[in-house]
Amino acid sequence: MNIVVLIKLVPDLVEELTIDSGGAGLDLTFARWIINEFDDHALEQGILLKERHGGTVTVVAPDLEGADDVLFTAAAKDADRLIKVKGDFTMANNHALARAFSAIIKDLQADLILTGVQAHNDLDGSAGPLLAECLQLPYVGYVSGVAVNDGKSTIRKEYPGGLLAEMEVALPTVLGIQAAEQPPRYVAVSKVRQAMKTSSIEELDASDLNPDGAAEIGRMFQPEAAAHAEMIEGSPEEVSAKLVGLFKELGVL
Amino acid sequence: MNYEALKSVIVLLALSTATGIFIARAYRLLWVNLRRGGASGRFDHWGERVKGVLVYVGAQLRLFRFLVPGTAHFFVFWGFLFLSLTILQAIVEGLAAFANPHYVLPLIGTWGPLALIQDLLATAVVVAVAYGLYLRLVVDPERYRGSHKGAGVKVLGFIMTIMLSLLVMNGLRINLNEDLLGAWRPVSTLTGMPFASLSPAVQGVIEEAAYWIHLGVVLLFLTELPTGKHFHIFTSIPNVLLRNLEPRGRLPAPQSADGTAGVSVMEQFRWKQMLDFYTCSECGRCQEMCPASQGGSSLSPKLLIMDLRRNLEERGAALSAKSSNGILFKSLTGDVITDETIWACTTCYTCDQECPLFIEHVNPIVEMRRHLIVEGRVDKKLQDALANLGRYGNSFGQSERMRAKWTQGLQPAIKDARKEPVEYLWFVGDYASYSPTLTDVTRKTAEVFQKAGLNFGILFDAERNSGNDVRRVGEEGLYEMLAEKNLLALSKCKYETIVTTDPHTYNTLKNEYVWNGNGRPRILHYTELLDELISSGQLKFGKKLDARITYHDPCYLGRYNGVYDAPRRVIEATGCRVIEMPRHGDRAFCCGAGGGRIWMEEKPGHERPAEMRVREAAALDGVTTFVVACPKDVTMFRDAVKTTGSESRLEVKDLIELVYEAL
Repeated sequence: MNIVVLIKLVPDLVEELTIDSGGAGLDLTFARWIINEFDDHALEQGILLKERHGGTVTVVAPDLEGADDVLFTAAAKDADRLIKVKGDFTMANNHALARAFSAIIKDLQADLILTGVQAHNDLDGSAGPLLAECLQLPYVGYVSGVAVNDGKSTIRKEYPGGLLAEMEVALPTVLGIQAAEQPPRYVAVSKVRQAMKTSSIEELDASDLNPDGAAEIGRMFQPEAAAHAEMIEGSPEEVSAKLVGLFKELGVL
Repeated sequence: MNYEALKSVIVLLALSTATGIFIARAYRLLWVNLRRGGASGRFDHWGERVKGVLVYVGAQLRLFRFLVPGTAHFFVFWGFLFLSLTILQAIVEGLAAFANPHYVLPLIGTWGPLALIQDLLATAVVVAVAYGLYLRLVVDPERYRGSHKGAGVKVLGFIMTIMLSLLVMNGLRINLNEDLLGAWRPVSTLTGMPFASLSPAVQGVIEEAAYWIHLGVVLLFLTELPTGKHFHIFTSIPNVLLRNLEPRGRLPAPQSADGTAGVSVMEQFRWKQMLDFYTCSECGRCQEMCPASQGGSSLSPKLLIMDLRRNLEERGAALSAKSSNGILFKSLTGDVITDETIWACTTCYTCDQECPLFIEHVNPIVEMRRHLIVEGRVDKKLQDALANLGRYGNSFGQSERMRAKWTQGLQPAIKDARKEPVEYLWFVGDYASYSPTLTDVTRKTAEVFQKAGLNFGILFDAERNSGNDVRRVGEEGLYEMLAEKNLLALSKCKYETIVTTDPHTYNTLKNEYVWNGNGRPRILHYTELLDELISSGQLKFGKKLDARITYHDPCYLGRYNGVYDAPRRVIEATGCRVIEMPRHGDRAFCCGAGGGRIWMEEKPGHERPAEMRVREAAALDGVTTFVVACPKDVTMFRDAVKTTGSESRLEVKDLIELVYEAL
């Protein structure tokens, strides 16, 4: 089985975020790029599937600072092929990312394409469905478990309210991973260093970074301190009556 | 064949059988099994090594740390050494019986003073063994929990029988006028007295029986020597001889070639470590003092070593038999020693320090941790801490740009040691830099330094966690990475002395960092620096605090690096009086945070070491302040004071706060 894991690098929220001079995006000059947390789960799920069913895991990441570390760490976790997509991804949105990645993935003949279900900088929708659209493949998101047999995958999908669904999806397919079946494993620094010596990163050029189709961002700003919250007290009936009154007052009812 | 000839034959047969069994067993354990271990080195510094044997085996120095049992053991040891000559006499006498039934060895059997010493020592051994039996059977202290009680009692019984039969035999010989040195044996004369009324023939029979019991038990004991706890009688000398002579705070590098694998199979241990496992006499001094054991974890240093020894013996036998015995499929890390046990150690070094025979516990634990790290078998909290350390260089998961945030607003501003030369380079450390509850203490440290007129600076965002505890968690690769970054940053600075806040930092900088160029700089803990500043008159106090306080020795300052007096002198200089806790100095009880434990999940349900320690301090008369000299201690003990509800009774202060108040 040929498993491809897409990895998005996102600005590390540990650093202070600032808005650029244009006012519609982040100032990423000094950003520290780290792996999107959900993509780390996608990678873990890919490795788990490889351990269970065999096959190969190919990891694809955009060429941003830190991509090499992320790829070698994946190799230390036993990923087989590392691909870095060259291009200026600093400001690329998910539309551009999906187009660039789909061009590369088409050649990889993947059975299963795993990606994180979301990232904190998904301003134009998450990357998974966009990619599936580009590849004309089915997509299931919020996945927290994957089993594969006979060219089909059985998928556990999480719904709000604690509901779970199990569904069958024909391969190949794109899955948006909410959580791997186990938390992403720890990989010792020595193993990463070893991987740096023994594995290599293939560099492929992104065909084009076309951002078209995304909603346009008018303004980006820091959360502004609003008035403090008011606690509504009383019995449930009283509280709901007061709420209705409030809503009417605000003109939303 | 007459009796004397038969006696010679039987003694010869028994002697050769017992020796044969002993050699076969010892060969299997010491030659076959140890050769499967890794190389050990340590064939150096022979003068120091031999001196250690004289001091620690000969004078039994460490045994006296438990005074009464230690004294008892001292007499058993020396008694046995001197009485081995009487055993030799008994053997030779038996072998020579066919020619001369009353043969005595020259000197050994003819020199009166020796007979007197032996007579008195035999008595001392009887008393010591009786005490030993009382200790095992009646007192049964916590340290014996899990030891082989039956084997312990059996050995004591052997020794008691050997001694009593000797005294009876000698007494009867005195009665029968067969002993040339009778006058030199007052105790034997006494033991002979009850038999004096019997006929010489009956006395002769009893004497002969006592001889056989004496020799028989000696030979039986010999065959049992290479098993369990008694083996230490044989292995203790080489074990102490080949003890670790490195500084306590320097962990040996990993054993595998690529520097990562750690130990997951018995044969990956060094052979000297295996010798350690054989040498455990199950005395349990380690167990009684271990914070992990006392804190209800599954780790006891003694049981750990005993489990490793069992695995070594069982695996060794299975490997030699080329059997597909199930034991060969047991994993060392997981089955033999559980992950929980391996992670429970705080690396406080008490076990290593207390062991009379220099068995190392912390090293094999770290070796096994190294394997668990490579396998990724770590708990969530530790994994997060390690990921943070890898990414940001601190366990708090904060940007390195925030490391010196605590300096904001300090006047005059703290120098950047990367930009200008300083006399003292202050290595602040993670907790002192990032922990919000410690900001005040760290700022006070800076202010004290400033008031003393110190020319000092810090590394700002170039500082990384020193890696002391990263290394003890078993993450050798990450440790190397952190150390490389720190060394690189330091190499670009001009300074004379490094001062650390954290004893853990102090330890690894002083004992483990590989300093190139000019070699290791002078490294001080801030308590040592304050001590210097006070004695040189550079730091003067305006006030005299008049408080009774107690001081907690941090493991990595005290036990690991022997700094006990400097912090006490500083405290006394502020006018405070140090009231010692029962466990102080090298016996100080660990707070439970070391060896990376501070990053791991606590097992609920049992009193934690820090809580026990707080109770110990709270029981001191008139003491209201608990003084520490380690940022992690501030965190641990402030928490423990709350959880034990001792807020009204005890206040935790860093030593620097006392100094600050007294300025």
